Amino acid sequence: MRRTISWAAVVLTALVLQSTVFAQVKLADAKPDLVYLVTAVLAFLEGPAAGAMAGFFGGMAEDFLLDQPKGITALTLTLVGYTVGTIRQYVVTPSPILPVLVVGATTTAAVLFNQLVTFLLGQLTVGAGYVIKVALLEGVYNAVLTPFLFPVIRRVAESSRPTKVFRW
Amino acid sequence: MALYSRPRNTRLLVVSLVMASLLTITVDYRGGERGPLEAAGQGALQAVAALQSGVSKVVQPIGSFLSGIAHIGSLRSENDALKAQIKALEARAGQSISDRRIIKELTRLLKLTEDLQLKGVTGRVVGESVSNFEWSVTINKGSADKVQQNDPVVSGDGLVGHVIEVAPHACRAQLIIDPDSAVAGRLASSGETGLVVGQRSKPLTMDLVNSDAKVVINDQVVTSGYQSGLYPPEIPIGLVSHVFSRPGSLTATIELTPTVDFSALEFVLVVNG
Repeated sequence: MRRTISWAAVVLTALVLQSTVFAQVKLADAKPDLVYLVTAVLAFLEGPAAGAMAGFFGGMAEDFLLDQPKGITALTLTLVGYTVGTIRQYVVTPSPILPVLVVGATTTAAVLFNQLVTFLLGQLTVGAGYVIKVALLEGVYNAVLTPFLFPVIRRVAESSRPTKVFRW
Repeated sequence: MALYSRPRNTRLLVVSLVMASLLTITVDYRGGERGPLEAAGQGALQAVAALQSGVSKVVQPIGSFLSGIAHIGSLRSENDALKAQIKALEARAGQSISDRRIIKELTRLLKLTEDLQLKGVTGRVVGESVSNFEWSVTINKGSADKVQQNDPVVSGDGLVGHVIEVAPHACRAQLIIDPDSAVAGRLASSGETGLVVGQRSKPLTMDLVNSDAKVVINDQVVTSGYQSGLYPPEIPIGLVSHVFSRPGSLTATIELTPTVDFSALEFVLVVNG
């Protein structure tokens, strides 16, 4: 229960920051997306189930702030959380660069997937070149933010983790 | 949580969440503007607008600084002009620079509304879209101030866009630079009409109905205001910056530079009635 509350707090904080501070930080046509970042990091730390839950609720909340059909971001981020959490279980390197790379690559892939679904629904209004450019930039921006936010999210996640459960 | 520990449970959970997402997409996509999820969307808009309004007061300078870095080339040329302006401003001691800017902007807005006899409610832009694929702004006026969906939004410089979602004390307006936006425009000098379509941060494009129309660079384009149209007539949209000549084509295409600076929107008029 405590963990669910901490995850919810992390996702909600990301959403508030995204809709206020980061909605205004636009460089070269793109801005970072904290909800994508937080989903990837939570999945990375807590595994596929927590990742999928965080992705679904964070994505659904973000969908209600957009004009596109609601549910697309929820679908994207559910899959992001599950995939990152699953892959993470097979990777054992303690490298500190790993989360940065994971967040960057995941964000780019997720934006592309998100726009693919938008395209399939006939709602895409921009060209493919623009989508790819924004996806890459958003990946880079999220990767750059990861070293600052990853320790904070890890601290919240670990402080609420029950001590008797052993995880690798 | 023990519930999430086994892989089979995890898979079941993910499949349920994916199904829930797909269901939401379907319901919302089919429901359109009157779908059951619209009310929830309006609640979210209201909550976020309140947050944005508070935060934008604090972080607008930071955001402006960061976006300023992106425009550093054009800023350099403005530098000299601004230096002269600083001297003038310093002379007027005791008067806040910010207050003066606000007065100036509101005066321009007032002049435009008087010239065109527009009626509406003046609001402040408190936030931008969360997404990289939507060009919209949040305005701090809503249905409590009689703002309705599809109301035109103008600033002191010209046409900004139209309202796409309304909450009690906030609304969201789609900008005319959104690729989804199309405005019926008219060349001020010749009266030729055409559809002005957004191209993100690139200049707007306008397809002229008459391919033989004579177009001059820097010609002004205004809203055409045909009957039952969304926008009142004569609101400035942009200036012609480029003319494409395609012999044999049924329509002629021109490029416009918008008169409004969409990166620095502050006060806008939501036109109603």
